[in-house]
Amino acid sequence: MSWRAELLAVWAVVVRNALMASRNVFFFFELLFWPIVGVLSIGLMTRFLHLTPAQASFVLIGTIALSIVNVCQLEVAYAVLLDVWSKSLKHQFLAPIGIRHLTLGSWLVGMARGGVLFLLLAALGWWAFDFRVLAPGWLAVAVFLLGCFLNAWIVGVFVCALIALFGNRAEAFAWASVNLVLVLAGLYYPVSVLPEPVATVAAAIPLTYFLDAYRAHFGFAPEFRAPIATGLALSVVYAALAHWCFFAAIQRARRTGLLLKMSE
Amino acid sequence: MLAIDAHDVTKTFKSGWLRPTRTAALRGVSLTVPRGTIVGLLGPNGAGKTTLLSILATLLTPDSGSVRVLGHDVVRDAARLRRRLNMASGRPSFLWSLRVGEIVAFYGRLYGLSGSKLRRRVDELIELCELGANRRTPYSELSTGLKQRVALAKSLVNDPELLFLDEPTLGLDPDVSVRVRRHIADLRSQRGITIVLTTHYMREADELCDEIAFIKAGRILARGTPAELKRRIRLGDVIALRLDPPAVPWLGEAPGVLRCRAVDGWVECTVDGAEKRLPDLLRALSAEGIAVRNVRVREPELEDVFVELAR
Repeated sequence: MSWRAELLAVWAVVVRNALMASRNVFFFFELLFWPIVGVLSIGLMTRFLHLTPAQASFVLIGTIALSIVNVCQLEVAYAVLLDVWSKSLKHQFLAPIGIRHLTLGSWLVGMARGGVLFLLLAALGWWAFDFRVLAPGWLAVAVFLLGCFLNAWIVGVFVCALIALFGNRAEAFAWASVNLVLVLAGLYYPVSVLPEPVATVAAAIPLTYFLDAYRAHFGFAPEFRAPIATGLALSVVYAALAHWCFFAAIQRARRTGLLLKMSE
Repeated sequence: MLAIDAHDVTKTFKSGWLRPTRTAALRGVSLTVPRGTIVGLLGPNGAGKTTLLSILATLLTPDSGSVRVLGHDVVRDAARLRRRLNMASGRPSFLWSLRVGEIVAFYGRLYGLSGSKLRRRVDELIELCELGANRRTPYSELSTGLKQRVALAKSLVNDPELLFLDEPTLGLDPDVSVRVRRHIADLRSQRGITIVLTTHYMREADELCDEIAFIKAGRILARGTPAELKRRIRLGDVIALRLDPPAVPWLGEAPGVLRCRAVDGWVECTVDGAEKRLPDLLRALSAEGIAVRNVRVREPELEDVFVELAR
């Protein structure tokens, strides 16, 4: 496949997902309602508990990261979910499209949505709680966002693999999976407070490192050495593993006939 | 040149975890389809038609056997093959909130079209499939017939060399079915596309197909042109009589009569040869004082072949 054909296939998915998102009534809830409710309620809680500005920023960074990961990973999962819901999966896989086009195209839309959401929440955090999430500078913000987006990509592709493996029954993972990240990656607390076996699992999640690195700009001592490099390295490994799982699940669906069943 | 060359293809579906059950969908199917022809796959529900079509279209992998489509192996070379074929289903389904033009354009991009080339292709297909008035209508708001036309437009977006049509006129009004059938015939005659279709409508198969393969329980039981199949099954001719009085019990026992049945006020007798048996029957009826009000003679239809083979 030529580079032009590769880019066109990715672009096709970008246009499709963007059109679907623009006509989806839940788009409003995903992009605005829940994230804003999240930041406001957590921010007000920090006031009620009289947290120091540093502690409040720790918690608010976690809330913002959760919202971004959630919105972006849902968009990646939509790469398969949209076709499962409309029973058009067989048309998708009859065309010369690879899973890389599907996941990359939907990830690009997810990043755009996540980027807009980040700016909105940054403005809200500043206005409501005097929390300046952009204070560490654009490079640090960019690395933090990249970490969130990479995690979202990985979780989204694993969700796609599960749907291709188990059909509609696995749909719930699309919404549930991000909560697992919430518990393990130390969104609202440092991972050092987790009991030992759980802390080891937390150390295997890339988002943990990107949160650690970003919080260091707000005065918290890093818990890990070279967190950005470790986070990136883990992300590459998981992204490759997730894509392999998705590819294997599609091959299996072609063997078992699930690909056709999900289109009936 | 062969468009399809399949040998001894088998496919078994497994279901259940604790007590897995196995269903053999294809049991050693072999099929060759010359380029530029229209071949129909006929058979009762659950015969294996859609399974075979899906294997040929790379949507399903066979358990064993060899399948080459347009010279490519359907398993090893599926990615390259997909650029050259396409499929339309009689039960189409696309993303609901996309509009007709957007659906065709989405698939066009997947096949490498962009810019003015893509716009021209979308315009051309929308005109060909008579979708101009609905170009901006969301898919979910289309009627069954319009949805089928969208499926046909999508299936032609890459100008395929081989087209699979799974029940292309299912649930369509008669006038729309006629137009779809005309489109299909034009695709072969004007563009030279090889077409493999499944259908339950015998008239459609008779009208469109150069050859028919009859599948039952995962095996091809008979194959040939519609005329060959009718001859090979030796169904005989049908003499339809309108009699007064209408019931003649001995007619089924008359020499050369294979069977008789009453259909809408007519008595239909299947005989081994109409030319030889009609004068004898008329003479015998006259001798018994039975008035013959009307007579029709017809050759067996493909539907009769289907009923015979499906039995």
